[in-house]
Amino acid sequence: MESDTQRIALGLRQGDVVVLEALVEQYQYRLVRYLVSLLGRRDGVDDFVQETWLRVLERGGSYDGQSRFEPWLFRVARNIALDAMRKRPMFSLDSNEADGVRSSPASGEPSPYTLAARTQDAERLARSLQTLEPVYREALVLRFQEELSLQEISVIVGAPVSTVASRIYQGLATLRPQFEGDTA
Amino acid sequence: MNIDHHDTFQRMIDESLAGVLSVEKEQSLRKHLSTCATCREYLSASNRVIAGLSGFSFEVNPTLNARVLTALRLQAEEGRGILARDTGTMRQHSVPFKNWAAFAVALSMSFVGSGLVYQMAERLAVPMHFVSAQVQAGVLVFWLLPSLCAALCLLAAPSENRGIA
Repeated sequence: MESDTQRIALGLRQGDVVVLEALVEQYQYRLVRYLVSLLGRRDGVDDFVQETWLRVLERGGSYDGQSRFEPWLFRVARNIALDAMRKRPMFSLDSNEADGVRSSPASGEPSPYTLAARTQDAERLARSLQTLEPVYREALVLRFQEELSLQEISVIVGAPVSTVASRIYQGLATLRPQFEGDTA
Repeated sequence: MNIDHHDTFQRMIDESLAGVLSVEKEQSLRKHLSTCATCREYLSASNRVIAGLSGFSFEVNPTLNARVLTALRLQAEEGRGILARDTGTMRQHSVPFKNWAAFAVALSMSFVGSGLVYQMAERLAVPMHFVSAQVQAGVLVFWLLPSLCAALCLLAAPSENRGIA
């Protein structure tokens, strides 16, 4: 019997827009959330999202359907975001800045985490998350928000599983002190 | 209880949260947690971090989906256009009958020409002190094979450049 991932792979190989539309509906929010976590900013993310889906349409044939779709999708998104950060074309609005690419909002501008915090614990984490190094933030988000395995994260970030594990431990170690000694 | 001991179990808590702790170690950790308040607090703080990470809700631009879907449809249409063009090119590129006929003529001319050249070379071989095998090899390498390649090129070349005329 054909699995969901195999159906997705077949649809992508055939460039089936209906399959792609369903995938957009299903994964759009998670894609936005991942890109915000990767970049530490909200602006520009929509462009990356669109670019990601267009790349999925263009190169969907390379998804083999043997593994889950989301790690493959996040990897595509990550490559696009990192390429753009190297080339800077999608960050033209920030061209007045020294490096052309901001990995965090300008001072005074609320971070995407502050705006997105819906619980007290999240509010407490917002500031630290914004200053946490992107590789640690990315590892934490992929593990605990996206609930991906270390192997899947390793494929996305192109690093060994041991490196991914270290990033998770380090990320937790950075954020944990906020809740230590707190009985609330 | 010494600090190293806590460190070992706190490392196991990290590994457990990362999903890489073995079942045996997991059992050992649970046993330890039931008796160690320090490590329980460590686990509790870690769980608060994880719960905090789930407490963010990012707003998706309400027009984003429509924008993405429009871009996808446009690109798909474009892709289909390119595919149609490619199919057209392939159709043009498929070898029509007249080109097979041209190839057949070129092939016959190649063999007939080779035969004539061979006879001529045989006559010249005696005064030039060549043996028969050398003549055959010469005709094969310098006449038959090049002319066969030329005939095959008629099939491989684009149709608009193809033909003998």
